[in-house]
Amino acid sequence: METLTVLYDARCLPCRHIRAWLEQEPAYVRLVFIPAGSEDARRRFPQLDHAATLTELTVISDAGDVYAAERGWLMCLWALRAYRAWSLTLGSPALMPTARRFITWISQNRWRLGQAEFLASCADGETGQACQIGD
Amino acid sequence: MEIIVITYLLYLAISVLLTIWVARTLFKNGRIFLVDVFHGNESLADSVNHLLVVGFYLVNLVYVSLALKLGYEVESWRAGIEALSWKIGLVLLVLGVMHFFNLLVFTRIRRSSLLPYVPPPVPPTAQTAVREG
Repeated sequence: METLTVLYDARCLPCRHIRAWLEQEPAYVRLVFIPAGSEDARRRFPQLDHAATLTELTVISDAGDVYAAERGWLMCLWALRAYRAWSLTLGSPALMPTARRFITWISQNRWRLGQAEFLASCADGETGQACQIGD
Repeated sequence: MEIIVITYLLYLAISVLLTIWVARTLFKNGRIFLVDVFHGNESLADSVNHLLVVGFYLVNLVYVSLALKLGYEVESWRAGIEALSWKIGLVLLVLGVMHFFNLLVFTRIRRSSLLPYVPPPVPPTAQTAVREG
């Protein structure tokens, strides 16, 4: 496996920050980020349910293996040099249910988390992308 | 010669021999671990093995030396043997702990050296066609 394509929700702030962080981490496998539901995504993966990729993180290998939701998260960790051992621990039968609940919560609440981040950064008087409504 | 002096000399002889025995076991069998961890680089494995064994000797012989003193008088042979047994027991305990600690360290090192080859932790949820972008 040489590349993992990550279909992420480009509308949400925390998602964009996580993408930026993932991109700069040293990795065993290259991570390619494409906004979910975009033209590029539809062209590359014509058979995929693109509506579903907007609600949960979807990671696809170059062989066409699709990892959705918490499996997608674990694959992102697995790709990183510093976090591969973590992905094995969290993906173990003992910890998987807990990891799944945590990841599902974050995923479902990403708008609320994004709003909190938006309000916090604008309250500080920060200008720029974080404060642009409807971005 | 006093009983306590004989006890001390026996303690030192037995402890040193036990330490040498455990160290040689680790040296001989640990080498295979290290050659695997260093992907066949035998001279590197031998070098690291030697360094680890020196460390092992240092820690254990330090303990043996510091733990020698009885702190009370030994009046009879029985008391001498009891004191000897107690001290040797502690030495064996420390050697045992060090031995398992070494094994733990070797296992951790080997596991992290295999990380680049480890497969994904979860199976895929589905399959899809990929078209070149």
